[in-house]
Amino acid sequence: MLEKLSHILFSTRLLLPELVFAGVFLLIVTIVAFSKKSHQRYNLYNTLTLSILITIGFVFYVFLSFLEQYFDSGVVLFHNLIYLDKLSIFFKIIITVSAIAVILHLWIIGYKVVGEFYAIFLALILGLFILSMTTHMLMLYVAIEMVSICSYILVVINKSKSNAEAGIKYLLTGATSSAVMLYGISLLYGMTGTLNFGSQEFATFLGQNPSWVANVAAFMTIGGLLFKLSAAPFHSWTPDVYEATPTPIVAFLSIAPKVGVIIVMIRFLSGLSIDFRLILSIVIIGSLLIGNLSALWQTNTKRMLGYSTIAHAGFMLVGLLALNEFGVQSAIFYVATYMFITLSAFLLVDLLALKTESYELASLKGLGQENILLGLSAVVIMIALVGFPPTVGFTGKLLIFTALWQSYQDSGNMLLLVVLIISLLNTAISVFYYLRIPFFMIFKDPMGSAKRYGLDLMKKLFLFVFIFLLVYLFIKPDLIMDMIEKL
Amino acid sequence: MNNILLSTLIFLPIIAAALVLLLPNAYKDSFKWISILVSIINLLNIFTLYNTFDRKLTSFQFLEQYEWIRMGLGSLGILSIDYILGVDGINMPMVLLSGIIFLVGAVASFNIEHRPKAYHSLYLLLSGTVIGCFVALDFFLFFIFFEFMLLPMYFLIGIWGGERREYSAIKFFIYTFVGSIFILIVMIGLAMSVNDTFFSQELSTTVHTFDFRFLGDFKNYISGSLLSPDSNQLIFGLSARVFAFILLLIGFGIKLPTVPLHTWLPDAHVEAPTPVSVILAGILLKIGAYGFIRIAYGFFPDIAYNCSYIVAGAGVLSIIYGAFNALAQDDLKKMIAYSSVSHMGFVLLGLSSLTAEGVNGAIYQMFGHGILSALLFLIAGVIYDRTHNRLIENFRGLSSKMPLYTVAVTIAFFGALGLPSLPGFVGEFFTLMGGFASPVLPDWVPMLATLGLVLSAGYFLWTLQKMFFGKFWTNHNHEHHMKDLDIREMVMLYGLSALAVIFGIFPNLIFDLSGETVKLFLEKF
Repeated sequence: MLEKLSHILFSTRLLLPELVFAGVFLLIVTIVAFSKKSHQRYNLYNTLTLSILITIGFVFYVFLSFLEQYFDSGVVLFHNLIYLDKLSIFFKIIITVSAIAVILHLWIIGYKVVGEFYAIFLALILGLFILSMTTHMLMLYVAIEMVSICSYILVVINKSKSNAEAGIKYLLTGATSSAVMLYGISLLYGMTGTLNFGSQEFATFLGQNPSWVANVAAFMTIGGLLFKLSAAPFHSWTPDVYEATPTPIVAFLSIAPKVGVIIVMIRFLSGLSIDFRLILSIVIIGSLLIGNLSALWQTNTKRMLGYSTIAHAGFMLVGLLALNEFGVQSAIFYVATYMFITLSAFLLVDLLALKTESYELASLKGLGQENILLGLSAVVIMIALVGFPPTVGFTGKLLIFTALWQSYQDSGNMLLLVVLIISLLNTAISVFYYLRIPFFMIFKDPMGSAKRYGLDLMKKLFLFVFIFLLVYLFIKPDLIMDMIEKL
Repeated sequence: MNNILLSTLIFLPIIAAALVLLLPNAYKDSFKWISILVSIINLLNIFTLYNTFDRKLTSFQFLEQYEWIRMGLGSLGILSIDYILGVDGINMPMVLLSGIIFLVGAVASFNIEHRPKAYHSLYLLLSGTVIGCFVALDFFLFFIFFEFMLLPMYFLIGIWGGERREYSAIKFFIYTFVGSIFILIVMIGLAMSVNDTFFSQELSTTVHTFDFRFLGDFKNYISGSLLSPDSNQLIFGLSARVFAFILLLIGFGIKLPTVPLHTWLPDAHVEAPTPVSVILAGILLKIGAYGFIRIAYGFFPDIAYNCSYIVAGAGVLSIIYGAFNALAQDDLKKMIAYSSVSHMGFVLLGLSSLTAEGVNGAIYQMFGHGILSALLFLIAGVIYDRTHNRLIENFRGLSSKMPLYTVAVTIAFFGALGLPSLPGFVGEFFTLMGGFASPVLPDWVPMLATLGLVLSAGYFLWTLQKMFFGKFWTNHNHEHHMKDLDIREMVMLYGLSALAVIFGIFPNLIFDLSGETVKLFLEKF
């Protein structure tokens, strides 16, 4: 009894940052509840959220080296429910960084959102933190639900008709995939007798089942994850939600949950003792083709980016398909750098919309001529999404393809080569629609009078930081890669 | 000074590009002068390079090497990417050519009125990346430059082009991008198969490298890896190395371009503004040929020896198909574009012969065609500037109104159709000789290629006769536009003509550069 209690106390101590974080969530809820016009206090909320995020990011960073000193690999907390290691802290840092960027985005562009938003936002991040440090399927389910429910609310929090439609779609697909996931978990539990997918007995017992049964159960289990990743066949919510939701929220939803999901995928797939590559390949190829081919026909930039994230979900999984040490590292690198790319893409779309008040591609005509900085940024960001040098998008793609090639060279599995070729060709397809944004901005002449369209200093600076990162991380990818290697 | 000379060639234009971008629009008249000045400085530097280049050495000279990226690959060792520049007999002529053509292009860009700031910064950016592509000795670095040059080119065609500029810009981009993806696959495969034997002992782990000097040597291949010469893995029924070689053929074949991958070229040329056409035909096509020599043949000599007939076949097909197409064109610029396709075919023929005269001839042909095609596109530009019309049938007897122009045209046309003492002849003669002497090609291949000579004489002489001789007449009342060359045009046209004559009479200016390196190159086969 005493032993158990001391274990719980010990566990609680290691989760102190998250507990403080939860405290701030409660604080914001209280402020919202007791202040009358909550939407007028957005400066307060912004400051509060930003400071807690920066603090916790810093704490995690310190924690990373602390953990290195005291624990060799990871540490099991709360009787297997939480598994804390350097990988999870690294992912928590990524999530925090993206959250900071999103709050800055909100603030700098001048979105006025209700106070509840900040509370839900923090709760979502908390869910992601839990997601990134679990190898227990029960905890996984709880975390996924926490993230999902917060996401549904974030999508509809700015009340409008299209929001409601997107929210309902999101909710229905989400609920379905959760149900599928729960069913998968119950199957896996039945086969292995354990809920901890990081454990040895999970691997042993799963291997004793017929391969296709285990494959189906595993696929159902990752259904919920694929939904968050907006990978095929759970992708259908993406474009509608992206179109209807305020841009900073979309930016957040398009990266943070994926980061959380990727780490779970890494852990789940490396604990899987069956050959799961066929199903994973189908998911990858499906996501790539659906994402890229549909994006070709879009006339709305946010919808287009929605389809593009479906394709990118496929690329993220390519690194996991290789499933060796380097494959995992390259997938992490891809996710970390894709975060910067996608955040900057949404920032760009928003900066453009400030002028045009529309997200239609046609409304971008000539904007690049009026503001050269925006035109150049659009080129850099879009070629980063394509994966074109000299941006970090190229490095990320190069690494995952190298990992896949190496995996093919070692195993001789034809499937990997097919995936490699299809994903490379998809890069070529994607050129076509990504370049349409700079194409409209630079090649087309402006509609009406060509007025100069200026940005204020903060916006310029914020955009510049992103552009700088995209190029600088190409020149010095070691900055991130060294960190990943040590995990 | 010597040890940063090559970096200067690359970064001076890139820095100048940034400068142009940052200068306020009030200085817009100075942008063209910046372009010209930078091109002149670059050309002077290249002359220094040319003069101090040691013709006897076979190794790389003016070597610059810096560590760039060292990335751990987990259990696979280390991925090492370096910044390595250097020149040898194969790329030295190309660097010289770039210097010349970019200066000519800068002069030709003089009358760009539409958004000069963007134009000149893109132009300078392009010139830096193209030279970078030629002198890079690390596959990764080469690839970066190779890919990156698409962007300035895309905008140069897409903004300053003719009526269907947007269509041809995106077509150009996608074709070349697809090609570069094929090259990327091979690049990854090579890096994963090659070990930097020098560093791997020091670090006691496998060091995957992109260094050209290691990729070219079988000793460095990790045994059992996919692209090592002893590998026996099959991909779609082909050995992995054959597969990689074919991917490279497609990738560089699009850039070159070779029939049937050439269809982007006529569109791009017709829509591009004159200076961009000059750059495109003068240098960019040569990068495809350079890739063939350096990468496809240099790193896969065993496969190249057996598959040379494919390359020769593509070459001969380009020569004949390009020539027939040129014969059928009524647009002057389109005719010249197809003649480019035809003449670049000789490069493939010479290379695939695997003889000293053939490969030297191929390198010479690259250089000579660079000069001549630049001249030809300038000629088309002169007519277009005056009348906004390029149809051959619209003009007759121009020699009486424009004698100076006609002289330049005659030199260019005769040079291109292969009159002795002009570059076209030297290149074609040596590549054909190589073809006949080749151990790997049957005699009928070069024989077919000679048909290209006859055809090119046909379309050039025909055009010359139709447009320039006879009684003066133009369609659509263009008569009063038909002024003779101004000073700027004379400098460009006669300058290039003089170079054509010099290099045609003294082909050793190029052969001296390439001879020793080619000798070493051929020992691999």
